This record gives sequence, C-alpha cells and structure tokens, in this order.
Amino acid sequence: MESISTIGDAIAAARPAYDELAIFAEDVEDEWSYINDLALAWADRMDAVADARGKEPAAAGVAEAVSALVAEAAAIDDPHRAIDWLSTFPQVLLVAIGEQP
Amino acid sequence: MRFQDASPDARAVVYAGIQADPLVARAAALLADATQTQRILARAVMNGMSTGPTVWQAMFPTLFGPDAPSDGDERGRSEALLAASIQVAERGEQIRSQVRGALVEALTELLIRRRAGSRGGPSAVRRERRILFDGVRAEIHPYDVTLEAPGAAEAIDCKWGARGINADVLHQLDDARTHAADEDEVLTASIVVFDAERSCRVRLERQTAPHDETRLITLETLDRLAGR
Repeated sequence: MESISTIGDAIAAARPAYDELAIFAEDVEDEWSYINDLALAWADRMDAVADARGKEPAAAGVAEAVSALVAEAAAIDDPHRAIDWLSTFPQVLLVAIGEQP
Repeated sequence: MRFQDASPDARAVVYAGIQADPLVARAAALLADATQTQRILARAVMNGMSTGPTVWQAMFPTLFGPDAPSDGDERGRSEALLAASIQVAERGEQIRSQVRGALVEALTELLIRRRAGSRGGPSAVRRERRILFDGVRAEIHPYDVTLEAPGAAEAIDCKWGARGINADVLHQLDDARTHAADEDEVLTASIVVFDAERSCRVRLERQTAPHDETRLITLETLDRLAGR
C-alpha cells in the first residue's frame, strides 16, 4: 500500500479494496442492481470527500485504520457478507478520517 | 384497532431463546448510549471476519487511536462495545445473524421506552404483537416493537441492514397505517435499520411498495426513537 499522508491518500488507498468487494458481491446475482447502485452511491460520497478535503493531512492512526480496513475487506469470503460490507466499509473509512457517513 | 400477542410458532419459540440471551440485553444497553461511531464499530465487528480486538482498535482511530480519550466513560463504552460485539461475532454464522436481529429489536425497545414515559408509560412498549382491524385479515408476521399508547400508537419493524428492507415489510407497515386511518386512529409506521441512511435510501429507491408515509430510522437517527 502506498504511504498515506493526506485524506486523499487514505481514500485512494481504500478504493481498490472497495471495488474488489463490489465485484465479489456480484456473485449474488439477484442483487446485482442493488449492489451496483449501492457501490456507486458510496463511491460518490468518498469522491466528494476526496475533492473537498483531499489535501488535508491525515490524522494519527488513519494509515493504520485504512490498512486494517483493507485487510478485513479482503478476508471476506461470503458474497452476502460482502453486500453488507459495501455499506459498512465506507462508513468505517469516513469516520476514520473524521467525516460523517 | 387493537393489539394482540402473536401466537408463538416453532420459529418464534427458538427465536425467543435468542432474544433472551443476556448478551443481547447487554449489547443493546451499551448501544442505547453509544455515539454514531461506536454504533458503526459494533456493526462492523458483528459482521466482520476478525475476532481479535487489535484489528478493530486500529480501524477506529477516533475511538482507540493516539488522539482518542485514554479513559473516561466514552473510552469505557467503546471498550465494552468492542468486547460485546466480538462475542456476537464469535457465534456461528446462523446464530450471530439471529443475535444481530434480536439486538436491533432490543435496542429499539430500549430507546422507545425512554420516550414512552409521557405516552402510556413503559408498559405501552411491547414486542412481537399483531395489530387487528375490523374486517381485515390479521397479518401473519407480528410487528417487532409496538408502542400501544392511545392516540400515539406506533408499529415498528427492525432490520440489521438496508438489504432487509423489502416489499413485504413495506406493505405490511403501510397497510397497518392505512387501516388505522380507516378507523380514525393514528398509527405511526416505522422501519428501524441498523445501517447508514445512504444505504437505506438506495434500497428504498428500488422498492415500488408504498413507503412515503413510513418513517425511516437509521444509524444516524436512532436517538430520535428516544425523543432526543
């Protein structure tokens, strides 16, 4: 993982894991549309924070938080749980960087 | 409009054992006084893969990081919630799913009891109740929580995540509200979801079942149940 010194770095480091989570969740075919709408809605929120605060320095602990979050997402082995984490993941990321989800 | 205990079927008997689990009551009590970030912590841990505390402590720097309070009530609640959430996560997959559902119900009941003092008293808050209307066939599924206060009745369904929002639930809640109105009664229909509003709105956008008059309570707005 690239070093994280700003809010923008933190979001950029987390996004690939989120995208992977969405791809894995698509194994639940009945929820394909919901999964994509959900992922898009949260991606928009993360992008908006990156646009607004991307250059701000990341607070202490943020780099470790992103690393732990990415590892947790990668460990998810059930697509149904992945759907739930499409909502949980951005909430955890956003509170770690001092944002309301 | 009248309220009635649901007849316990086999599923309800098994689920009653989950609802009575002391871990459910303990976690609900902690969540009732928790901040939004602490509630997100609980949600993440209870649906996560890791059951070691250090992973979660790292993931929530505003609760456990170098700039977080090192002691005091808030830190104590964060530690206690983390421990309780890990206990839930350590249950088998099916059991922990049931525990999470029971937990949202218990939390909802607890928060509404805090508000109910001026509206019929705590005894007006009930679980697993049906609502009967003249000339209308009773719904099969009881409401998770009801507030049975004259003139200010509420019917509430509880969900762990946004994905739990479905047409059956929305129809049942809206039907109850409209049947009450037909009898000149006021019944507020609510769905409580232990998930972010953004996720719930995405889910609701895909639903054609009526829901404009159903109150949505999410992680961000749980305290409204208590009138805060």
